[in-house]
Amino acid sequence: MHAGKGIAILERVWPVLVLVVPLMAVVVLADLYGSVMFQRTVTDALIKIVLVVGLYIFIGNSGIVSFGHIGFAGIAAYFATWMTCCAMMKPITMTGLPDFLRLETYSLWSTALVSVAIAGVAALVIGLVLMRLSGLAASISTLAALFIFHAVYANWDSVTMGRASIVGVPTYVTVWVALGGAVLAIAVAWLYQISSYGLATRAARDDEVAAQASGISLYWNRLIAFVLSGMVVGLGGVLMVHFQGTISVNAFYLNLTFITLAMLVVGGMRSLAGAVVGVVVLTSVADVFRRLEAGVDLGAMRLSTPVGTQEMFLAALMLLILVFRKDGLMGRRELRLPRFPGTGQGREAP
Amino acid sequence: MTPPETAAEPRPTRLQAQNVHVSFGGIRALTGIDLTIRRGEVLGLIGPNGAGKTTLVNVLTGFQAPTEGRVMLEDQTLTGMKARDVARAGVARSFQAARLFRDLTVQENLVVAALGAGLPRRAAEARAHEILDWIGCAPIAHLTCDGLSYGDERRISIARALAMGPSFALLDEPASGMNETECAALMQVISELPAQFDCGVLLIEHNMTVIMGVCQRIHVLDGGRSLAEGTPDEVQANPAVRRAYLGEKADQVALTI
Repeated sequence: MHAGKGIAILERVWPVLVLVVPLMAVVVLADLYGSVMFQRTVTDALIKIVLVVGLYIFIGNSGIVSFGHIGFAGIAAYFATWMTCCAMMKPITMTGLPDFLRLETYSLWSTALVSVAIAGVAALVIGLVLMRLSGLAASISTLAALFIFHAVYANWDSVTMGRASIVGVPTYVTVWVALGGAVLAIAVAWLYQISSYGLATRAARDDEVAAQASGISLYWNRLIAFVLSGMVVGLGGVLMVHFQGTISVNAFYLNLTFITLAMLVVGGMRSLAGAVVGVVVLTSVADVFRRLEAGVDLGAMRLSTPVGTQEMFLAALMLLILVFRKDGLMGRRELRLPRFPGTGQGREAP
Repeated sequence: MTPPETAAEPRPTRLQAQNVHVSFGGIRALTGIDLTIRRGEVLGLIGPNGAGKTTLVNVLTGFQAPTEGRVMLEDQTLTGMKARDVARAGVARSFQAARLFRDLTVQENLVVAALGAGLPRRAAEARAHEILDWIGCAPIAHLTCDGLSYGDERRISIARALAMGPSFALLDEPASGMNETECAALMQVISELPAQFDCGVLLIEHNMTVIMGVCQRIHVLDGGRSLAEGTPDEVQANPAVRRAYLGEKADQVALTI
């Protein structure tokens, strides 16, 4: 009986462990043996995992593609910037900020918490309106939300310095901090997914009509997913800005939207494992090609591929996956513990 | 099996359609339908294709607003309520196409419905388990629904409606496409529903063996109008019914039951 219970618990946490443990191994190796360059690549990938897992919480569970979530990363990142950046310059360059932001500087912990909460509030306000829509209409309107975010922040000169970069944001995000963020995002996503709310949202994704007939509210369940997802993406934005030390509004626009969506699609939109696998695969491929473009020494010869090979290869890879495996590398499955005979729950139908 | 644990308020005893009209543009799908389903009975709803059977179920469950008339659950007016709220009020349904949540497991499909009815998670899991056991689907509880056999899909779609602990379960052609053995098992299940779940059942079905075998009363629709209502014997003897519907299949063995 005890063994059975142990297996039951292991079965529940397995899909998280199987993602988190390899990430930890990579981080340990990077920390011990990796070059600075490699550590930065790993850190960047881990932050992307936070963003893509955040996207997955909404897209994967609700089945509605959102183009707007990077806006929440931007909102959180800007708020973190205002709370921590450049005490000397801030009063002069960002005159529009209220005094509690313009004149004060806050601790990194409280900044992260408040910024993520702000992203959640933004997602709530937008979600209250957008979650009344379904399918393509909802997707397109999230893109509209991203445009609104960009237009406002790019022109709100007195607090964002317009399209210019703000420099001097404290950088504390090491590869270990990024790992912490990624583990947190994965754990939150998994807990949500197996919760009653996640279950109801996935049911509505599979069949809206049957979900309504089962007493499920599409609106409220999707709204919960949208807000939680906005907060996790917001966390990704906070990590990004404290990793790079600078922020500009174009960093949170179409490029980041499409690369994160591409990662999710390649890995598999309907699987948490897919979100992680997509980031790892695309980052690895991009890294290999970046090295090739920079040139490889082969004895006396120096070989390098033409600039742009990386983008071409990534695009081709995405096409191949979409054609031959439209549900992404992971399909619609999680990495589950194989069922043991004797647990009374066979895989085969009778 | 325990009937749903909502002993606090008395369970409604009838679900009624009162003078229901539905028209789509100029087409009249239903004209002046009066129908009462009582708790504890299985009421059959038959009629040729296009008679308006599914439209009537859609009206009863809030998926289709009637152009005229109303739907009453005991003294509560259901007309104008959202489908989701009708379901929570205790009127569950299954669909012609099973419409399972295909990426969820069998167990999860039932849990969603029990949660939708307002149960907490633990109780929902327990009820799902209990119903799957009762209907004989416990061995497949942990399979995802996209790989189920056709017969299993049909059974799970009924089980999911039952997981809501409904006062009334409306089953839309549950036997379609089933073989004889599966039909016999299904008849057994349906005839036990009222007692097991303390509910009333509306059964739409083309298979006359099933209809005649499990229904206490039968309501016949034709061209959107009520043609007759009565016991299986009365309906079979009704000349209008024979002409409009059963007559087409007069040689069917089912009629001799």
